[in-house]
Amino acid sequence: MPETIEAIFKKHGRTSDELIPILQDVQKEFGYIAQESLKKISRYLKLSENLVFGVASFYTQFRFTEPGKHAVKVCLGTACHVRGGSTLLDTLERGLGISCGETTEDRRFDLERVACLGCCALSPVVQIDRDIYSRMSVNRLTELLKKYE
Amino acid sequence: MTKEKKLSITIDNRKVAVKPNITILQAAREHNIYIPSLCTLEPLPSYGACRLCIVEVDGLRGFPTSCTTPVDDGMVVRTDTAEIRTLRQEVLKLLLSEHPASCLFCTEHDECKDYQGTIRKVGVTTGCRYCPNDSLCELQTITEKIGLTETSYPVYYRGFPVEKSDPFYDRDYNLCILCGRCVRVCNDIRMNGTLSFKERGKQTTIGAALDRTHLDAGCEFCGACVSVCPTGALSTKVSKWYGKPDGETKTTCVYCPVGCELLLQIKNNETIDVFPNYDSTIDQGLLCVKGRFAIPEYVASPERLATPQRMTPLGYEDISWDDAIDEAAEKLSGINPEDVLIVVSPQLTNEDLFVAERFARELIGTDQIMSVLITDMREETVSFLNLASASSPFNVIDTADTILTIGFDSTYGFTPIGIKIKKAAKAGVNLTTLSVHESNLDIVSGETFQMNVTKWPALLDSIMGKMPGNGKGTKLKPLNKVVVIGAEVIFSPKRGAVFEKIVEMKDRFGWKVIVAHPYTNLMGLLAMGAFPGIKRGEIVSDGTKSTGPAVEDPLSAMDLARHRKVVYLIGEVPFENLPECDFLIYQNALSVKSTRKPDLVLPSSLFTELSGTIISAEGRILPIRKATDPYGKSMPDWQIISKISEKIKSGALKYSSISAIQTDIKKQVKSLSDVKKRLEFRKISAKTSGKGRTGKRLSDPKSSRKPWEEKYRGIALKDVVSGMLVIEERRRHE
Ligand code: SF4
Ligand code: SF4
Ligand code: FES
Repeated sequence: MPETIEAIFKKHGRTSDELIPILQDVQKEFGYIAQESLKKISRYLKLSENLVFGVASFYTQFRFTEPGKHAVKVCLGTACHVRGGSTLLDTLERGLGISCGETTEDRRFDLERVACLGCCALSPVVQIDRDIYSRMSVNRLTELLKKYE
Repeated sequence: MTKEKKLSITIDNRKVAVKPNITILQAAREHNIYIPSLCTLEPLPSYGACRLCIVEVDGLRGFPTSCTTPVDDGMVVRTDTAEIRTLRQEVLKLLLSEHPASCLFCTEHDECKDYQGTIRKVGVTTGCRYCPNDSLCELQTITEKIGLTETSYPVYYRGFPVEKSDPFYDRDYNLCILCGRCVRVCNDIRMNGTLSFKERGKQTTIGAALDRTHLDAGCEFCGACVSVCPTGALSTKVSKWYGKPDGETKTTCVYCPVGCELLLQIKNNETIDVFPNYDSTIDQGLLCVKGRFAIPEYVASPERLATPQRMTPLGYEDISWDDAIDEAAEKLSGINPEDVLIVVSPQLTNEDLFVAERFARELIGTDQIMSVLITDMREETVSFLNLASASSPFNVIDTADTILTIGFDSTYGFTPIGIKIKKAAKAGVNLTTLSVHESNLDIVSGETFQMNVTKWPALLDSIMGKMPGNGKGTKLKPLNKVVVIGAEVIFSPKRGAVFEKIVEMKDRFGWKVIVAHPYTNLMGLLAMGAFPGIKRGEIVSDGTKSTGPAVEDPLSAMDLARHRKVVYLIGEVPFENLPECDFLIYQNALSVKSTRKPDLVLPSSLFTELSGTIISAEGRILPIRKATDPYGKSMPDWQIISKISEKIKSGALKYSSISAIQTDIKKQVKSLSDVKKRLEFRKISAKTSGKGRTGKRLSDPKSSRKPWEEKYRGIALKDVVSGMLVIEERRRHE
């Protein structure tokens, strides 16, 4: 059961320099910055919702939609790209029916691209949640997704 | 602060003396040295985004931006070396690499100019018009000044869809150069916070959270962003393709009693747009949506009346002014004063009201000068007038230590007051907001109360209980408490009890009061005596005595249930409870949809077409200046009344010019002669008349429960200004 947003506020002062720490805590607790949270943060810090959003959207670490159950990340760093990372991404986009940065309708998968996961020797690489899958191919990928319900 | 010594700096080999604490750019401008700049704009804080204002400064590394570098004694600055020129060209090229540049670089550019005049059905010019800002654009000017005639980079078109779903202005962020002026004006000057930078890098755009429309994001539609944008990214819907205005007239807004200064933009004898004046001492350029956007559409409405009309069995027929005046005069001459009701709008000018008052009292001989505020305020009319005439100047907010707002919201009106309050609250002043619905000030208030009006008197009691003078609190502290009351209480059927409490706060506890009511020239109406029981000039204080007239409850005195022979509406529309009558004269600017069909229609000119004065809520006498010719055959209201009078009794009210009326006003209303001074008003109190109510009691109009809407001369703005409909709907659903 996540902490309430009010409990998060208790840990922070009401000055605008607390904005990013509050956003981080909310993101950590809830997994994303919901519209309702945006409104509450705005009221708490007496900043407009638009400003809070402006700051938050600058950083990729914050998201504004509820995350899916599983986060699928396709590496498109140089090595992975050369070895077909983008074909994997295409496959996923078509297979899941979403584009990069979106969540499937059944909220099962999030699809994202990353620049480098630091294991270029194993390219192309796909990460699902905390697991890294190396030397991926289109066929194995399709099989793999079935494991994640 | 001690008197600041001037610093001496050298700019381009010129030694100049400058004030400390300003930037190099400001210093250069003061001495007429041109440095190109796009993102800086007084009075916005400096930002350093465009990099065009780079200079060389001895002892400083690289090329600092002059808009962010403060001057220092002995500084040596060069603004225009060959190296700077190349760098600036490069910066500009980069800037334009994301901006469609067809209007800037075209091989036919110069030739084109010579051949733009053309004869077609409409008076337009040929040539490309990709962008509404063409010929007004700062980017065009700068490109010319920097001498860039071509660019070596491909232009990347970002392909954002043009945002047209909000009222009043469109946004094409493909033209945006991310100078941040709109973001700064929205946040730092308007204290509103609708706009912010979103995302980063080449994805950066300007807008509201989560792709909300501006309407949903709390935009006030003040249009400040549109005025400051150096490009064509932001443009006013109604005037975007008009091009450069050919004239400007400074006048006063007549939509509410704040009396903001307006800079009317004129083209071909039409008011096409309205700009704020940031140097105004009244409103600091902080216009609301009505002043900024609701004027051109109103004055050019297809509903404007162009000629006098008479009702015939077959409908309305156009008639000449002579016939119209004859007909009005015939109905009114020799009539028993009891049989006439004259209705004036509190949105007329002083001159109109003065002539109307003399017409009613001297020519017709009646004291019954009706205005809608009487049916709006009903039994509370006198206490409303008492509060409104005791209203303090708005700058009391600047020195307040406690501010209480009651039923006040400044999103779509009274923005100069709202922004003052927001500034004060941000600076730490104790702000309490009390309202039925959410108020736009809640976000900055210390305490917020949202409850039904019936609970307000008790709450106000408890607030008063905390006050010094009641045994508690520090008695020594000077009282700097301000209460601002808005539409939610003024138009609540339960206002009586709240008014009583506010009068008590004012009289017993020394609160200063600001009443944000919609009756633009209410003070002028009272000063001219165009109100039953109040004589001309009587309420204007000359500093001697503070008690003014005691008036009988105007609603019962007016006896609206009684049948009249003639009702003469001056700048007003038939309202609920308008007495039955044999002959209805409708003198106004727009035609009206009403079940009560006027027998005679007299077209009035509007405030952009005439001169005059109004008295603002602060007691300032403010000028209305003529900007365009009268619409059709319309005439100013005073002129129509004067012509009718001439027919009834020659020489009685003969005025041929506005200055003749003004001379007369000064003669008759002594204290009004010193126009520089802010007027003070005497207290209006209720006369408890011995005799009981006369006439039948009026039925409670349904309108007191209808939500209040923005009107001008009786016509709802939402009916004539398309964007105001959107605003009015939003206000209702909040
Ligand atoms: S919209 Fe206009 S004012 Fe706003 S950042 Fe873009 S160019 Fe500047
Ligand atoms: S605040 Fe009042 S005077 Fe100012 S622009 Fe708005 S309606 Fe006009
Ligand atoms: S004016 Fe200095 S950076 Fe834009």
